[in-house]
Amino acid sequence: MLGWGIVKGLGVTLRHFVTTYVEDLKYYPQRATKSVMEYRMAPGSKGIYTIQYPEEKPVLPERFRFLPFLVTDYEGDDLQKRHDEARCTSCGICAKVCPAQCIWMVRDTKPDGKPLPRSKEFYIDVDMCMNCGYCAEFCPFDSIIMDHDYALADYERDVAHIHNIDRLLKPASHYKEIRPAQYVQREEERRLAEEEKKRKAEEKAKRMAAKKAAAAARK
Amino acid sequence: MTVETSQVETPSLPEGSVPVPEDLKQNVFISSLDAIYNWGRMYSTWPMMFGLACCAIEFIAMAASRFDIDRFGWGLTRSSPRQADLMFVSGTVTKKMAPNIVRLFNQIGEPKYVISVGACANGGGPFKEGYNVVSGIDKYMPVDVYIPGCPPTPSALLQGVVALQEKIKKQSIRTVPWYQKDQRNDSIPVPQLGPDIFDPRDIPLIEKEREERKALKDAPPAEEVVAEAPKKPSRRAPKPPKVPAWDITPTEGAQALADQINQTLDVAAVTPEKDALVVDPSHLIAVAQYIRDDLGYNYLSNVTGVDYLGRKGPRFEVVYHAYSIDKGGGPITFKARPADDDNPKLPSLVSLWNSANLQEREVYDLYGIRFEGHPNLKRILMWEGFHGHPMRKDFKEAYYEGAIKPFSNRWPNGHHQRIDFKNPYNKNVTYPDDFNPETWKPEGEHLDALEVHQVENIAGMKTDRIKVNFGPQHPSTHGVFRMVLTLEGETIVDLEPVLGYLHRNHEKIGERNGWLMNMPYTDRLDYLTSMVNNHAYALLVEKMANIQVPDRAEYIRVIMSELTRVFSHLVLIGFYTNDLGCSFTPLLYALEARERILDLFEAASGARMMVNYMRFGGVAYDVDDEWLKLARFHVQDTLPRTLDDLETLLSENEIVLTRSKNVGALSAERLIANGVTGPMLRAAGVKYDVRKVEPYSVYDRFDFEVPTLQNSDIFDRYMMRVLEIRQSLRILEQALDQIEAGSIMGGKGAYSLRVPAGEAYSRIESPKGELGFYAVSNGSGNPWRYRVRSPSFVNLTALSEMSVGQKVADAVIILGAIDIVLGEVDR
Repeated sequence: MLGWGIVKGLGVTLRHFVTTYVEDLKYYPQRATKSVMEYRMAPGSKGIYTIQYPEEKPVLPERFRFLPFLVTDYEGDDLQKRHDEARCTSCGICAKVCPAQCIWMVRDTKPDGKPLPRSKEFYIDVDMCMNCGYCAEFCPFDSIIMDHDYALADYERDVAHIHNIDRLLKPASHYKEIRPAQYVQREEERRLAEEEKKRKAEEKAKRMAAKKAAAAARK
Repeated sequence: MTVETSQVETPSLPEGSVPVPEDLKQNVFISSLDAIYNWGRMYSTWPMMFGLACCAIEFIAMAASRFDIDRFGWGLTRSSPRQADLMFVSGTVTKKMAPNIVRLFNQIGEPKYVISVGACANGGGPFKEGYNVVSGIDKYMPVDVYIPGCPPTPSALLQGVVALQEKIKKQSIRTVPWYQKDQRNDSIPVPQLGPDIFDPRDIPLIEKEREERKALKDAPPAEEVVAEAPKKPSRRAPKPPKVPAWDITPTEGAQALADQINQTLDVAAVTPEKDALVVDPSHLIAVAQYIRDDLGYNYLSNVTGVDYLGRKGPRFEVVYHAYSIDKGGGPITFKARPADDDNPKLPSLVSLWNSANLQEREVYDLYGIRFEGHPNLKRILMWEGFHGHPMRKDFKEAYYEGAIKPFSNRWPNGHHQRIDFKNPYNKNVTYPDDFNPETWKPEGEHLDALEVHQVENIAGMKTDRIKVNFGPQHPSTHGVFRMVLTLEGETIVDLEPVLGYLHRNHEKIGERNGWLMNMPYTDRLDYLTSMVNNHAYALLVEKMANIQVPDRAEYIRVIMSELTRVFSHLVLIGFYTNDLGCSFTPLLYALEARERILDLFEAASGARMMVNYMRFGGVAYDVDDEWLKLARFHVQDTLPRTLDDLETLLSENEIVLTRSKNVGALSAERLIANGVTGPMLRAAGVKYDVRKVEPYSVYDRFDFEVPTLQNSDIFDRYMMRVLEIRQSLRILEQALDQIEAGSIMGGKGAYSLRVPAGEAYSRIESPKGELGFYAVSNGSGNPWRYRVRSPSFVNLTALSEMSVGQKVADAVIILGAIDIVLGEVDR
């Protein structure tokens, strides 16, 4: 019958329309609570669910990446201390691996000009960053991490979109909060590496001591 | 809303408060009026239906049901700037497109707002260094809100929307410029496409620059003029890059083939080099004809140029890859080297393979190699009059910073400075001596007036033959694509695609990047199928560097690629039926399913669209059992359900059938000649799928079919996608069953990879057709030549042949069914 195909299609539209309303009514009036949201966004849920941003926010997976930030082990607000306890050693790997070349960093130096393992200045040009996550992936010290904060719209870009070191430094607790599993895993790895280093140093010291003792005995 | 209403209702004054003085009463009224005025405006701002690149896809996702921009009253996207209040500049602004964007902006009536979406529109983004990329749309027009991100997620976009609403809320009816007589905005001068883009406001600057340079040129001790010359010499002077050279002892097969061709043609036309044949330019056509007709390699897949600057002998080389549709398997690679470096030319192969048509134009545009006998040899990605041929090794972009990355000024003394301020625009541009910015008119960029000729049409009636410009800003061109239609009445007599409005210089940037750095760039080629692009590029480098991939990684790759294929096809069905007139319903259902898959991608890789998930030797992160369970659920439930819905909605719909049956059909032979691959070719009855004919990854372990259809019309192309989704779901089921625990990374996974010198072409079956990557390595950490053979681009070759004789409305759906993504067409 001519027109049957259209009617059948309209049936699909009608079904979608009704299902969504039925689901909406089921949870009326507390549709925006977190548990309802999770349930309705779960796989296999019926009807269409709309996230009511900004009142509701989508749940982000741990690996979600937006822009990078630098990790400091100091938790307070003192900028200088944040700076002092930053994990970054200014090795430059992030700047070298960055595909868009959006990272600029100035390595700190001693008064005599010798390099110090920390960065004095650090810039990320947000308007060049492609959120690829390489800096965080290849950082050997776990000191640059991709942040979850995406709500960064601004009215100008000359200041707001050049993230300098003061803005980039965030405490390790933030890192732990947004990436708990990775934090635990990497911290464990770091701890093991530290222990290994310590053990090696001790062994070396022992060997040196033994050598010294042997040399002294020979005398 | 609560805040605004409290401002509107003048509350009864609490006791003891000061009454408003008489002379300020007026202001109270105005501020209440402001509140109403702004409240009305901020919830009815209509954006223009306008998108440039990847970010536009996130814009569409934001408009779809999960995020739903309609909740803000912003959902009424208008196709015409004259009805819109707001422009989302979403994506990379290219120089070729910038004049059009400014024109569109000028056409929006006040009050008008601009939201710049994503890193590219804000400041050039990762493509900033490109020769065709503008460093931010705010160079040419005012921007109200900048949304960072690459791309911003839909929530980030909504936050930008809220930010603009805040801004609107603060405006006052007394100070807004559009009610002020003296402040009213005149239209912004449209930038011009000269040797490079220039702003008419900058003409004095350009003139000064040119005079200075001329003076320098005339002065006898020629001083270095190039802008990037470092002030103090770096510790290590940059060595000139090594010209690629590798062992060219011919393989047995190549030697035998060369002997056979030379014997048959009875001249020494071909010399084998490794597995390629080097053809004497004067015999190129004869050899190509032999390869096509006698050897049966009837499908010319890839034509590309390489510039071996510094090599002994001819500098340029054009590489051809021909495949056999019937036999399958690998290609015959043949090359030709134009003898004259200063005026390189080669015979054109368009007479044999039309698939060379657009690709030869591209080689001409980027390398300046002329193809004699080409029917329409002009620039394709850049505009006529652009200075130089950008892919040549000695070409320097306006924002040139260094020959290879990483740039030395980033570390250890990287004081941030934006290159667009440091290296002013005009320094690297060569202006011809007779260039006059005042009178300059770029060729081919304007369709000044309708060209009207009176002709007699087929039926003997008098009719006007007119030229109509279609795009680059048009809601149904799927991006910034332009067609110039010549019409007789409603019938198309000629169609010329005009490309390059999203030419982001992937290949030039790719040569500067390290091998690994190119991975996230491939995400942005066909931004709907990032996983597949990752896969193709990883395969190429693994082939060149001989890296083994563990089984689990292969399975994860297949799962990701097939999920991508499913949603790419679903979204295509949505877009294509949108073009047919089924406005938005199928697209919304498809996008709903896509969101589910994107959730999977986001959980696995960290990003929805720009996944950057695969590495050389494996994948970046493992997926857990929970993820696999979820993927299985979607494969068994969500996706088939969506597909069934779409099928019931469309497959028997009489209107869809009437519109799409017998439209745009082209025979299998013509499709092959035009280099068309993918679902379009299979819809014409040709069983050709790279997953079967030249299996890669672990596709040989799955039981699946290559479906074919016979009619080759628009309906079959739609049906083809439906059938392919069913096959992909079959593959997915098997892959999810077979995947086992194990390592996800072979090789070292180091960030600096050196690839042995050599060349390679590797291809996979992307949802759009054959996606190939060709690279030449000189043994260092950067590719010498990096080429993307994109299916969307080559498939467009057939557009004009399919559309001639059809109606204008049909051209739209023919284009829709090709399934182009402009990021991949223009690269």
